[in-house]
Amino acid sequence: MINIQDIRDTARDMLAKGEVRAVIGWRAGSRGMPAEPAVITAPEQADELVWDPTCYHNLALHLVEDRKFLAHARKTSGAPIAIVAKGCDARAVVVLMQENYFKREDVYIIGVSCEGSGVLAEWKLARHLNGAVPTAAAFAGDEFTFATAAGEKRVPARDVMADRCLECRSPFPKEHNVALGEDKTGRDLAAPFAALARFETRSEGERWEFWQRQFERCIRCFACRSVCPMCYCEECVVDSINIAVAPDTTAEEKANRIRWIERSATRSENITYHMTRAMHLAGRCVDCGECERVCPVNIPLRLLNNKMEREARERFGYEPGASIGGPSLVASFRDDDPGDFIR
Amino acid sequence: MSEQQAYEPKIVAFLCKWCSSAGSDLAGVSRIQYPANATPITVPCSGSVSPMYILSAFNKGADGVLVSGCHIGDCHYMEGNFLARRKIHLVKELLQFIGVEENRFRMSWVSAAEGAKYAEVVKEFVEDLRPLGPQEKLKAQRT
Repeated sequence: MINIQDIRDTARDMLAKGEVRAVIGWRAGSRGMPAEPAVITAPEQADELVWDPTCYHNLALHLVEDRKFLAHARKTSGAPIAIVAKGCDARAVVVLMQENYFKREDVYIIGVSCEGSGVLAEWKLARHLNGAVPTAAAFAGDEFTFATAAGEKRVPARDVMADRCLECRSPFPKEHNVALGEDKTGRDLAAPFAALARFETRSEGERWEFWQRQFERCIRCFACRSVCPMCYCEECVVDSINIAVAPDTTAEEKANRIRWIERSATRSENITYHMTRAMHLAGRCVDCGECERVCPVNIPLRLLNNKMEREARERFGYEPGASIGGPSLVASFRDDDPGDFIR
Repeated sequence: MSEQQAYEPKIVAFLCKWCSSAGSDLAGVSRIQYPANATPITVPCSGSVSPMYILSAFNKGADGVLVSGCHIGDCHYMEGNFLARRKIHLVKELLQFIGVEENRFRMSWVSAAEGAKYAEVVKEFVEDLRPLGPQEKLKAQRT
């Protein structure tokens, strides 16, 4: 187990010495049990930081936001910014650095290992609590204890852990400046891509039936895009407004702008949107599972991204977030890439 | 299309400027007979075919999409078709994953000298598409 005090001490130290200008971490949330992301800038705030299995958020997103803020304010970063990072968060940071979104020296990674555990899935927990709202939680070993209005409830950790954490292959942040907790890579919880393998046993018709139902529900709230640290484009191709309108832009030019995808939430447009997103995340998605968690209509988006991830891994030997210096998946090739599908 | 007219598959063919496009030209000037179902769109390189092109073609009503480029090693830009091979593989896997029929999407290598092969590729594609019927899965439902 990681001692929370270690995280706080590290953050306080760094801030006091002025080595970082802020620390991105988690603090106790304002809606009961779950933690919430926090950016602390003063040493005395360090005691607010927490670390437990309700730290769902991928904090790399806030690094991206910081970067965008600086760019819009036309400021240089100065001192680096520190981030408390789980295994998946750290992978996301690596991908961002691989894409030169920021430099290694701009970020100070306080790695926290998930060890034998991971984060909760609230929908799984809700099933165990019969609708009661947990107000507090205690996490120890293989059992989680939740306090609700109806009394205490003990639940085995594996029953309420998020699928992404059960299937996680690297719960330890390999890229770090300082790492807390034990490296338990290779822990045996569930086979990687287990859910994907189960899904792929379905026939073509069944797969289409499934996805059609899923995509019909999409309301195009773009929560998946907003929460994704990899979706950092200033202008998104699916917004269909990406035309620079100047005083001399003619009506014809505006009318004839390319609209790859319409904004209406119909099945065909939703499919095109999600497929485009899956393609744009191929070789970049670190399987933090945030898109699936925030989806208000529960579309299993991890399946799509997992498919791309496994394809990249098995066919091209590519692992997202493995190295900062390496080439990206679709900007590189090997002579022996599979080509037997080509006529 | 009226009820009486037989279904003819519409194919959008993204052909690379240096090989496949010239190959399709050769098929034409050699007077090779092949189905007229493919609408060719010349692109600079098969590597320049974005997944968006393919999805967009299906979205706008294509029954099948063909991407064709130079043989491996013959790319005018040295490595464009290597990149295409990887990217298109992912698109193909993704389309099949969500349940789009395998035969709706195809990739081929056709050189500028292979007019006969281009005709063959299109012919086979049309034959494979015919039993599948119109593509409704990704087509925009505009009322």
